Amino acid sequence: MEGRTVNVGLGLRRDIAEEILENRVLNPDFLEFAPENWMGMGGAWKRVMDRAVERYPITCHGLSLSLGSVEELDWKFISELKAFLDENRVSIYSEHLSYTKSRNAHLYDLLPIPFRQDAIDHVVDRIRRVQDALKRPLAIENVSYYTPVAAEMSEIEFVNEIVERSGCNMLLDVNNVYVNAFNHSYNAKEFIEQLPLERVAYIHMAGHEQVEPDLIIDTHGQPIIDPVYELFEWTIQKMEPVPVLLERDYNFEDLEQIQGELTRIRNILKKHWEVAHESA
Amino acid sequence: MNLHEESIAYMEQFGEYCRTGVEQDVPGITPGRIYHYRRLITNVVNDTLRTAFPISVAALGEERWQELVDDFFSAGLPQTPQVWKLPFEFYQYHAEQETGNRLTLPFLDDLLYFEWMEIEIHTMPDRPYPDFVSEGNLFKDKLAFNPEYEIVQLEYPVHTNPVREAIQMKGDYFALIYRMPESGHVQFLSLSALNVYIITRLQEENLALDEIKHEFARVAGIESGKYLDEALERFLGDLLERKMILGFLIGSKTLSSAATS
Repeated sequence: MEGRTVNVGLGLRRDIAEEILENRVLNPDFLEFAPENWMGMGGAWKRVMDRAVERYPITCHGLSLSLGSVEELDWKFISELKAFLDENRVSIYSEHLSYTKSRNAHLYDLLPIPFRQDAIDHVVDRIRRVQDALKRPLAIENVSYYTPVAAEMSEIEFVNEIVERSGCNMLLDVNNVYVNAFNHSYNAKEFIEQLPLERVAYIHMAGHEQVEPDLIIDTHGQPIIDPVYELFEWTIQKMEPVPVLLERDYNFEDLEQIQGELTRIRNILKKHWEVAHESA
Repeated sequence: MNLHEESIAYMEQFGEYCRTGVEQDVPGITPGRIYHYRRLITNVVNDTLRTAFPISVAALGEERWQELVDDFFSAGLPQTPQVWKLPFEFYQYHAEQETGNRLTLPFLDDLLYFEWMEIEIHTMPDRPYPDFVSEGNLFKDKLAFNPEYEIVQLEYPVHTNPVREAIQMKGDYFALIYRMPESGHVQFLSLSALNVYIITRLQEENLALDEIKHEFARVAGIESGKYLDEALERFLGDLLERKMILGFLIGSKTLSSAATS
């Protein structure tokens, strides 16, 4: 991705792997792997992964590091992860500001860490240790959450202190900001304005689903709605260029529609980032 | 540990509800919202296990299958950070808990194991292939076996028969499960104990068929000679055709090359 101002990627999902590698409809600039879904695999899927790595720049977005957990970090997993990131020449590795393991059981979803000072101390320490072990910075994602848990501070205070003290980068998920602002009745732009945008190394865009009058679930299965595009366009004007990923986890029936989303994101980025850089 | 006892308790209560569905008194949450976490988590677990074990789901029926999933997820403490490996832990849990015996489903371990092994063989890390040539002699040359295989032993022939029939056929069964070289597709073959003996000796001990065929005849209690040779040639020729045998090893001295040198 070096040397290019505008990079719009797509997650490598098994349902669309062949399509992406053949470029019949979809035409991303880079691919993102969830390492947990590919690590330790051989056979046909390994060959798909190898073709993807040969063809595209790769980023990785982790699912199970469980930065907030009470349990000790899984060092065997982290060691295997490092090998995977190195082998596949991964340029950015991101993870969620959440926990996925509780009482010694993996739960395979992103649970909300309480917005509390002791949790900040805990997560900062773990991010530092993971970064040391991986020998690369983490980009930490602002997660969507549907309820706070025993919060003693705001989400923005929680996120900012962790980023500042750990020295990590940020993955800014614009859809998550929109979802959280809706679900918890705050102003999305005010939230983004308070973030350390100079630390954002990566952006995610995605669709969501409103399941109740006052609740949106971050599904990654629907098209991005216009207000999220608007928030995205507003946000990127405050930032230096970084790669942007379209997250789509299922509903792959209409590939033209997904390519349309990639194109729309790309056009927004070109409008603001290419012009800014040409005039600089 | 930087986390205080209170925060630990809240996080664990939250996780406990998600895993078991048992209501917890977690402070500072928005009423009605925690339910969605459990819904999303159980969707992931259900989808993963249902996709991995389609024959088991059909054999057990929806209600009983769901009992097994709920039991595993609430009590089984999944350890793998890679959700696609969860089916193996599901199989392990029910084997350890002897769920099959408890629910009078004696075939359960075999069926879960066999379905998991299809996934395992499909996804396992690549194993190094031997150097081989396609021309050679099945009896005199050392055979280059496809290294990406496992032989599984079953009490019920769930790999060849519908469960309702397999349950009446308790015995000793063997299945060879292997990965096709180019496509990566998984194939399986039913084997006799004597077939297993031949493959194991030839592959693991790197021997040529002529080196073991007389010993094999003694083990099998059959006479060496033309009929045995024909049977062995058919068996190994079939494995060659199915790409379980890739060809003939090079780089090691074989009986046929020794005979001609």
